[in-house]
Amino acid sequence: MNSPIHNFPTHGSNPGPVSSGFTSELASSQAEQTLRLIAQLPSPEGLDDRVIAGLHRAPRRGRVLTWPGSLSGSGGAWMRGAAAAAIVFVVAGGGWGIYTRVEPAQPARVLVMPRAGAAGGFSGAGAMRTPETLHGPVVAQPVTEKPIEVKAARKTPARVVHLPLRALQPDDNAVAKQPGAATAK
Amino acid sequence: MSTSQAIYAGWMEIQNIAVDDLARTQAEEAQVAALATQYAGTLYRVAYSVLRNPADAEDAVQEAFLRVLRHRDTLDEVRDHRVWLIRIVWNIVLDRKRRAKTRPETDDVAELARVLPCGGLTAEQIASAAQHHAQVLGCVEKLPAKERQVLMLSAFEELSSVEIAEVLGITESSVRSRLFRARNLMAELLNHSRSLR
Repeated sequence: MNSPIHNFPTHGSNPGPVSSGFTSELASSQAEQTLRLIAQLPSPEGLDDRVIAGLHRAPRRGRVLTWPGSLSGSGGAWMRGAAAAAIVFVVAGGGWGIYTRVEPAQPARVLVMPRAGAAGGFSGAGAMRTPETLHGPVVAQPVTEKPIEVKAARKTPARVVHLPLRALQPDDNAVAKQPGAATAK
Repeated sequence: MSTSQAIYAGWMEIQNIAVDDLARTQAEEAQVAALATQYAGTLYRVAYSVLRNPADAEDAVQEAFLRVLRHRDTLDEVRDHRVWLIRIVWNIVLDRKRRAKTRPETDDVAELARVLPCGGLTAEQIASAAQHHAQVLGCVEKLPAKERQVLMLSAFEELSSVEIAEVLGITESSVRSRLFRARNLMAELLNHSRSLR
């Protein structure tokens, strides 16, 4: 074992800015004495027991098993290959079995409308599809005839203007037919 | 050898491997337990010199041995278990110290100065010694990290310069030069603090 380091001389091969003299060495040694006191403090009772108990409580690490010796050599290569092939066969067969037994779900019947504004297509112009329904009985609406002419006749009662026959000209006749023309005059 | 015979032989060998694994695991755990019995005290003192708290130091020792248990496969490759363990716990305590920077150092120093042994002294002398220790520890805290680490490890009588170099991952000459600087700085700091009083 090498000599303890605290026996090293303070003035070695590294000359430095020592605060010279006996006081510096004394101060330094006093400081080291304090540190040595700390280093020699006794450890608490039963420390190693507690540490060992803590090690027993620690979670165990998992290990991976290696190939057995009879299978790890070149002689066991064909067996490893066979085992790998068997695993592949089982996995692939199971997958194929599931694939063939499971019936795919029927696709939902959806009427696909062309998208509005799709490039190169026709747009729906905002049209909405309405479901086709049966045509029920159509009730014919009773037609009411409006006596329009009668009303008109009532509103504007015809006024007969008696004019002398000689004064009856084609223009006057036209004026006479218009309602209210005579009253304006 | 027929196929069935080969499979049977392989199965038996798997069982043997499992049994061997179990036996080997138990042997390794027994080895780690023996290390704990032998070096737990040393590791505790190393941890305590940095952390200055009994509970934290014990936690650090526990964590160090858990790390050892995790890497028990490499136990046979380790040349010197003692230095290897001190290096592990040293790294743990430095990491913890770095993370627990929020706690004021003055509390630790005062607490540590009180617990240091002062056998056969009067009450007045004990108080004076505690004050002196607190002053020294305060100066140690002011040292640069590299110098401080070397100085603290040098206080352990069971560690040589070569072993300190191994713990810190530096050369032996670096240990010597850092220790030289640390001693000079300590002397300066102590003289300065005494001249202020």
